[in-house]
Amino acid sequence: MALQKSMLVARADLKMAMKVSMVKYGLILIAAFGPVMLIATVLLIALTAPTVAAATLAMIDPLLSPMVGIIAIIPASLISANALVGEREQNTLEPLLCTPLTDRELLLGKLLSSFIPSIALLLGSILITEVSTIFILVSVGSEIVLVPGLSSLFLLLTTGPTLILAMVSVMILISGRVKRVYEAYQTSGATVMLFIIPMLLPMISMDTSGNVDMNLVWFSNFITLLIAILLAIVTWALAIGRFNRDKMVSM
Amino acid sequence: MDEVIISGLTKRFDDLTAVDHIELTVPEGSIYGLLGPNGAGKSTTIRLLCTLLRPNEGTAKVGGYDIIESPVQVREITGVLPEEGNHTLYQTMSAYENLEYFGNLYGIPRDELPTRIEELLTFMDLWERKDDPAGELSTGNRQRLALCRALLHRPKILLLDEPTSALDPVAAKRVRELILSLAEKYKQTFFINSHNLAEVQRMCDRIAIIDEGQILLSGATQELRSRLQASQNFRIRVVDDLENTLSISKAMNFVKSAEREADSILVTIDDPLKNNTTLMQALISKGIHIIEFAEEEATLEDLYLDVIKGGVK
Ligand SMILES: Nc1ncnc2c1ncn2[C@@H]1O[C@H](COP(=O)(O)OP(=O)(O)OP(=O)(O)O)[C@@H](O)[C@H]1O
Ligand SMILES: [Mg+2]
Repeated sequence: MALQKSMLVARADLKMAMKVSMVKYGLILIAAFGPVMLIATVLLIALTAPTVAAATLAMIDPLLSPMVGIIAIIPASLISANALVGEREQNTLEPLLCTPLTDRELLLGKLLSSFIPSIALLLGSILITEVSTIFILVSVGSEIVLVPGLSSLFLLLTTGPTLILAMVSVMILISGRVKRVYEAYQTSGATVMLFIIPMLLPMISMDTSGNVDMNLVWFSNFITLLIAILLAIVTWALAIGRFNRDKMVSM
Repeated sequence: MDEVIISGLTKRFDDLTAVDHIELTVPEGSIYGLLGPNGAGKSTTIRLLCTLLRPNEGTAKVGGYDIIESPVQVREITGVLPEEGNHTLYQTMSAYENLEYFGNLYGIPRDELPTRIEELLTFMDLWERKDDPAGELSTGNRQRLALCRALLHRPKILLLDEPTSALDPVAAKRVRELILSLAEKYKQTFFINSHNLAEVQRMCDRIAIIDEGQILLSGATQELRSRLQASQNFRIRVVDDLENTLSISKAMNFVKSAEREADSILVTIDDPLKNNTTLMQALISKGIHIIEFAEEEATLEDLYLDVIKGGVK
């Protein structure tokens, strides 16, 4: 029942966002940035050194693929800024808060409206990258490897959504304190930078000679996930706990 | 039964006390008008009643539910038209979609929702515009759409913040008629903010006057009006000499005030039963031809201005 109400909010938000072509194409453009970079790198390596392409790609994958995850956090911050601060800017916050929605239902709705498209973009980016990589490697007659590889897939599919969740929570927190969507964008820009750091952690698994220790990669993946989960829990708890209708309305 | 019971309700914004220990009761099925000048605290009162704001002191019961302890239940049984309601719609959603979204949020059964939306939109002359984005409707149409949104789930209690402020006289009249018929048919209770006295006088059976967060006066509309009967207003129209009529009137000690208004003179007379004839005779003896000497009905406006100016009788 609660989820049903939240889904109503999420669906309405999404429908509205999709009506604004700047939002729609802007998001796709940002999200496309990750796969395009990855695919370009794969193409470059496949064309210059087809024989060792698979080995090279397998080695640099832990550094390369998290890029897709980092990029996927940005749309989440954009949509969630609109979903909450936009509601105030449009003067629709009061009627929405007058409905029987509980704080939890409302916030869950706002969470989903940012989470769903962000995850869709993330999964789409991964799929496109995988398919393109295989296509490129087959075309040049190279051995086939996955880009993103298994360890990166693990990172993207677990840490990715968790960080998106944390990002949206931060936005909910901000929304009670800023008046305009552009202010929210600016604040979220800073937050995105902060949240990118865990995604860069797997880099430490590369030693000075450029070799990758897979055990270390997995270890750092787990640490990254742990940090992300911690971030998500803390920010979500803060978002729910600090949410204050009175403050939202009277600021 | 009283649908809204406000007791000691207080809201402060920093040093400013917007609503200051107010006490009000709104009987079931009544149309209650909260009157006051700009910044009096009317909108803040409605925002407190619909649980948007949290009081610093005191509380209120709405439909039997406490606004602090059971906010969700309060929101379920109230319909709210926010201040400047015409600006509170989703601009890119169509008129129909705006209502559909809120209908779903209020939990109206899916099979019933389309007929309810059609009924309301048709009544408000908006059915033809149902597919237009709300942002492209005229101000008046948007106001009516916002009113539809407040009425859609057939709430027991309606909290309307200046419902006719953006409407032309014809549309305003329709809205007043709608409110009257709903109050009669469904026994819905209306709590209406306004600074339009004439309107409140025509529509509300009870009123309260608020200024600087405090209730100055409250009661049945009839009762408040009868308080003014001690002195009365008369309108005098003459063939020519308005200036002379004015100075003769002013010279009478029982005339409390005399003012020129376009083609007539408005005088306030103490004890009119005794003094009217004296004034008429004085005018006639100076050769003034009287066309009209008629009683003006006492309005709340007189009362309102009296009260706001500090001279509560
Ligand atoms: N969010 C807020 N923060 C600070 N002060 C506020 C806030 N909301 C209202 N006030 C102040 O509280 C007082 C009452 O405001 P309110 O909006 O209730 O008046 P009102 O009677 O509705 O006036 P109007 O007829 O102009 O709509 C005003 O002095 C206003 O400036
Ligand atoms: Mg107001």
